[in-house]
Amino acid sequence: MDLFAALQAVVNGILTGALYALVGMAMALIFGVMRIVNFAHGAFLMLGMYAAYELFLHAGVNPYYGFPLVGLGMFVLGYSCYQGLLRPIHGRSDFMQILLTLGIGLALTDGVQLVFGADYHQINLPLLEKNLHFGSHITVNAPWLVSFAIALAAGGGLYFFVMHTMMGRAARAIAQNRNAAPLMGIHLHRVQAFCFGLGVAVAAVAGSLLLPVFYLYPGVGDQFTLKAFVMVVLGGMESIVGAALAGLVLGVVESLTSLYWGNEWALALDFVLFLLVLSLRPGGIFGSQRA
Amino acid sequence: MKRAHLLLGAAALVVSLLVPLVVQSDYILQVLFRIYLFAALGLAWNLVGGYAGQLSLGHAAYFGAGAYGLALFTRAGLPVWLALVLLIAVALLFALLIGGVSFRLRGPYFALATIAFAEVLHAAAKNLPRVTGGDVGVPVPALFASHVHRSFYFCAVLLTAAAAWATVAISRSRFGYQLMAIREDQDTALSVGIHAARTKLNALLVSSVFTALGGALYASLFLFIVPDQVLSIDLSNEIAIVAMLGGAGTVLGPLVGSAVLETAAELFKNEFQEAHLLIYGILLVVVVLFLPEGIVGGAAALLRRRGAKGGWRAASE
Repeated sequence: MDLFAALQAVVNGILTGALYALVGMAMALIFGVMRIVNFAHGAFLMLGMYAAYELFLHAGVNPYYGFPLVGLGMFVLGYSCYQGLLRPIHGRSDFMQILLTLGIGLALTDGVQLVFGADYHQINLPLLEKNLHFGSHITVNAPWLVSFAIALAAGGGLYFFVMHTMMGRAARAIAQNRNAAPLMGIHLHRVQAFCFGLGVAVAAVAGSLLLPVFYLYPGVGDQFTLKAFVMVVLGGMESIVGAALAGLVLGVVESLTSLYWGNEWALALDFVLFLLVLSLRPGGIFGSQRA
Repeated sequence: MKRAHLLLGAAALVVSLLVPLVVQSDYILQVLFRIYLFAALGLAWNLVGGYAGQLSLGHAAYFGAGAYGLALFTRAGLPVWLALVLLIAVALLFALLIGGVSFRLRGPYFALATIAFAEVLHAAAKNLPRVTGGDVGVPVPALFASHVHRSFYFCAVLLTAAAAWATVAISRSRFGYQLMAIREDQDTALSVGIHAARTKLNALLVSSVFTALGGALYASLFLFIVPDQVLSIDLSNEIAIVAMLGGAGTVLGPLVGSAVLETAAELFKNEFQEAHLLIYGILLVVVVLFLPEGIVGGAAALLRRRGAKGGWRAASE
C-alpha cells in the first residue's frame, strides 16, 4: 500500500518535473549559456499563463492548442525586453543585471495585479475529468500526460536549437568566450536577444501548459524563478540536458517530500539541495565543470 | 571639514527628535517611523551591498531573527533586555552561517545563496507552528505602554543615527577601505593581503545587528507577526532597493532612498491598494538604467559637472 503511494508520488513527480524541466531549460539558455541573470523568469512564465487564460476566456482557445501563439507573443516581448532594457547595461556587473531583472519582474507581477486583480483563477477543460489507470493503484490525470508530451517535444526542440542550429552554435560560442565570438563574425546582441526571447517564450509555453492544472494569480511565477535557478545550478550551468534532468529530479523530490513531510517543506528542500550543491559540488550534479 | 559634517549630523538628529513637537498625527508619525526604520535597514544593508559590493537579497533573515527573537524569547519568560541581547546573538549566528557559506561564492551565486537561506528560514517559520506559531503568527510584547507612536519614532531615529554613525566610522577606517577594495576588485584586494572572506563577514556581522534591531522594533510596533510579513523576499528586496535608489556606498544614500521610496509607496498604497510594489519595480528599472549610482550619486555627479564640489561625497569615498 505504502509502496504504491510512493510509486504514485514518483509518477506525479515526473509529470510535474517535465514542466519544471521546461522552465529550467529556458533558464539554462538565458542564465547558463548567455549569462543573463534573469530574476524576471517566473514573471514571464506568469505572463504566459495570463495570456493563455485570456485566449481561453475570450477566444475559447484551449491552452494545449494556444501555446504556440503565447510563445510567439512572448518571444517578441522577450526580444524587445533585451534590446530595450538589458542591452543598455551590457558589460556592467551582475549586480546591476540582477537588480534590473528584479525590477522588471516586480513591475510585471504588480502590473498584472493592477490590471487583472489579485484573484485566483482556474479554467475548466473537459479533459480534466479524464483519468487514466495503470494497474490498480496508479492513476494519471489526462492533462498531465498531454502537457508531458508537449513539454518533451518543446524541450527536444530547444535542445536541437542549441546544439544543431547556427544560432545555437553562436550562442554556445558566446558562452565560451564573449570577447572572441564577435571577432568570428557573431552578432553578439542579435544572438543574445534571440536567445533571451526564445528562453522567455519557452518559459511562457510552460506557463500555458501549467494553466489547466494550476491556480492562476499574479504571484504564481515567483517560485519558478528560484526553482529555475536551482535547476540550472544543479544541472551544471551550461548544460541544457542537465537542467532538464534537474527539473525531473526536483519534481520527484518535491512530490515525495509532499507525501512524507507535507507540501510546505517542498520549496525549502529545493533550497537546501541548492545550497548543498553550491558549496559541495559547484559544477552541478550532472555537470562536469563551471566555466 | 569633518567638524562641519559632525555638526550637520548632530543638527539633523536634533531636528528629527524635535519633529513630534510639531507633528501630532499618529498616521504621519507612523509613516515617518517607517522612513527612519528603512533608512536604518538600508544603511545596514549598505555596508555589505554598497561598501563591500556583495548583493545580499536575503536580509529578511536578520530582520526576521530580530522580530521572532523578541516574540519568542519574551514568550519564554525572559525580560525584554535579555531578549534583545539574545536576538542579536541569533542574528550574529545567522550571519556567521550565511556568510560562511555564501561569501565563498561570487556574483549571482552569492545573491542566490542569500535568498535560499532566507527562504529556508521563511519555510521553517511557517512550518514549525509549535515553535513559531506558524502561519497564524505570534504576539509580540509592546516595548512602550504610553505615547506609543512617539516612542517608536524616537527609537527609529536613534537606530538610524547609530547606523549612520557606524557607516561613517567604518567608511573612514582601514576596515572600510578594505571593503571598498574588495568591491572594486576582489582578486587585487586578495593579492595585497586583504583577507576578503573575513572582511566581508565582519561587514555582514555589523549589518545583521542593525537589521535585527530594526526587525524587533518593527515587530513590537505591530504587536503581532507572521512569516510572510517579516521573512519575505519582498522585504529583502525592499531593503536593497532603498539603498540602491538613494545611492549604494554612500552615507546619505539610504536616508534619501528611504524617504523617497517610503513616501512614494505610501502615496501609491492609497491609490492602488494591492499593487504598490509596482512602484518598486519601476523605480528599480529607472535607477539601473538612468541613475546607476542612485539619487545621491547622480546628484553628486551633476554637482561635479557644474564645477561645484560635492562636499558630503568626500565622506563616503
